[in-house]
Amino acid sequence: MLKITDLELLVGSVAHLAAINASFQPGTLTTILGRTGAGKTTLMRAIAGLIAPDRGQILLDGTGWTRLPPWKRPVAMVTQQFINYPHLNVRDNVAFPLVRAGVAKADAAARAEAALARVGLAAMVDRRPSALSGGQQQRVAIARALVKKAPVLLLDEPFVNLDYNLREAFRKDLVDLLAVETGTVVLYASTDPREALQMGDQIVLLADGRIVQSGSPRDVFANPASLTAASVVNDPPINPIPFHQNGVADFGALGQQAITLPSGAYTLGLRASDIRAGGPHQARVTLTEVTGSETLTHLSLNGLDLVMQEKSVVLRSPGDVVGVHLDLHKGLVFGADGQRAGV
Amino acid sequence: MYRQKYLFLLPGLLVLVAIILFPLLFTIRVSFSSWDVYNPGLNWIGGENYGRLWEDARYWQALGRLTLLSVTTVLIQYVLGFALALMVWRDLAARRLFRVLFLIPMMTTPVVMSVLWRTIFHESLGPLNPILESLGIGAAPWLSSAGWAFAAVVMVEVWQWTPFMFLLLLAGLLSLPNEPYLAAKIDGAGPVRTFFSVTFPMLGAISVGAILIRLIEASKIMETVYVLTSGGPGTSTETSSYYIYIRGMRDFQIGYSAALSLTYLIIMIVALTVIAKLLVRALVKDAA
Repeated sequence: MLKITDLELLVGSVAHLAAINASFQPGTLTTILGRTGAGKTTLMRAIAGLIAPDRGQILLDGTGWTRLPPWKRPVAMVTQQFINYPHLNVRDNVAFPLVRAGVAKADAAARAEAALARVGLAAMVDRRPSALSGGQQQRVAIARALVKKAPVLLLDEPFVNLDYNLREAFRKDLVDLLAVETGTVVLYASTDPREALQMGDQIVLLADGRIVQSGSPRDVFANPASLTAASVVNDPPINPIPFHQNGVADFGALGQQAITLPSGAYTLGLRASDIRAGGPHQARVTLTEVTGSETLTHLSLNGLDLVMQEKSVVLRSPGDVVGVHLDLHKGLVFGADGQRAGV
Repeated sequence: MYRQKYLFLLPGLLVLVAIILFPLLFTIRVSFSSWDVYNPGLNWIGGENYGRLWEDARYWQALGRLTLLSVTTVLIQYVLGFALALMVWRDLAARRLFRVLFLIPMMTTPVVMSVLWRTIFHESLGPLNPILESLGIGAAPWLSSAGWAFAAVVMVEVWQWTPFMFLLLLAGLLSLPNEPYLAAKIDGAGPVRTFFSVTFPMLGAISVGAILIRLIEASKIMETVYVLTSGGPGTSTETSSYYIYIRGMRDFQIGYSAALSLTYLIIMIVALTVIAKLLVRALVKDAA
């Protein structure tokens, strides 16, 4: 088991990691989900030993490695960049960690070729990384990480620099590859909630260097503990709609909703998919994003900036007025402190 | 119209003929003559000069000495230059200052520098022997004993030209990507292993270039020997170029020294070509 206790890393007076406490079981894939700058890469690098935390401990099966140099840590890592050895061919690239670990060269080469076959690069073992496409280079890096058989495998947004189709295909392949790594703690950093929901056995939400929630992907998605967690785990981010509770929830011009809560100011987190076109509220279009078969329409409604998600391609121009319906009863209620309320 | 483009090559071609081809062809012709101080002129004596040099033990000894000197100095320069470049490559305070300081020897004039070193090595007046004596090592006959004089030439050459190696290798180090170093750390390679598995092979092509340039320069060594030892004591530090200088400029045996020069040139071209191929095979992975 990989255990992290009270991990903290300051850069100047800014906490890049703060009070990180988590434990990860072998054979599980944990997705570290957070927006850009949340501290995912910093956490990965701290675990790998590439940066030294100011305090806290990292323990594997009870043994601390916080002070170990990176080359002595039983860790394999794949980064966002396609990192390989440009002067070595693909086979030698993958065999590198084995040779460093003292495996005989012939054996290392055979194991490297087997790993390359697993990632679909059996025919390219004699090529240099520079002769491969970006996706192939990243497969080499993945093969090199897998062949090491390290008890901890860190995957830091490995597919972020690949195009959409390749990313989808690789994600599925990676899940298949990792299915047999039953003794390995796998941490997968991502900014994409869909990726986290699809891949992870467990999910850890990171924001501003802190863990804001962890648990099973389904549970975290259905019951985010705070507005921050709800924002991280929803893509597009959840729409925050303030309301005042005084017997009923008063949303001003958006109407009222029967919610049982103590009186006070609250925020309703409404998912973009819970806003539909064809309703009574007249919203002005500020931006339209078509992503694949989906349309995200950014709206301005009574001073609120909202995002509506539709499962079809709908082309609207900025300035268009569209009638929308808000399924307020599906929203998640958060108190003034940002924590979940009324649960 | 299209053919007129070749006219633009003419100035360059004329310069090439004037400064390379003509002297070379003229030297070849001179080498088949007995041009000397008594009979200046291009008479034809066939291969007599070449036959003479074949039996000239002093010439071949000088060539052997030159080989030893070149290989020794360039090897030491490479190792020291690499070490210094690694030292000021990354985490060192005031590394910019050190980078400039290390280049100073290369910027001095070889003759001036050799005069300075001759003073330093002077056995009774120079500062080196008193320093060695104060350290309990004892004085050395720097310029009057064959072995020590050779060592002195090696030291001066290393002192002056290590910065050249340093400069090329530092430029190479600074151009290396960071990513393989990150990968090496994760893949279990410590600093020493990273040097031999990442840094050294990635600098293979630059190493070959630096070593070859220095070998070419070292094989032409003249000023240091001339000023420091004048080839002595005896002929113990006499190198090929210095011997050719003696035969041509001091004894005025122009025809014979032309034959020596041409033979030396051919040997150098062949030797350096072979060395270049061997170095590329050994140090540059792409050549595999």
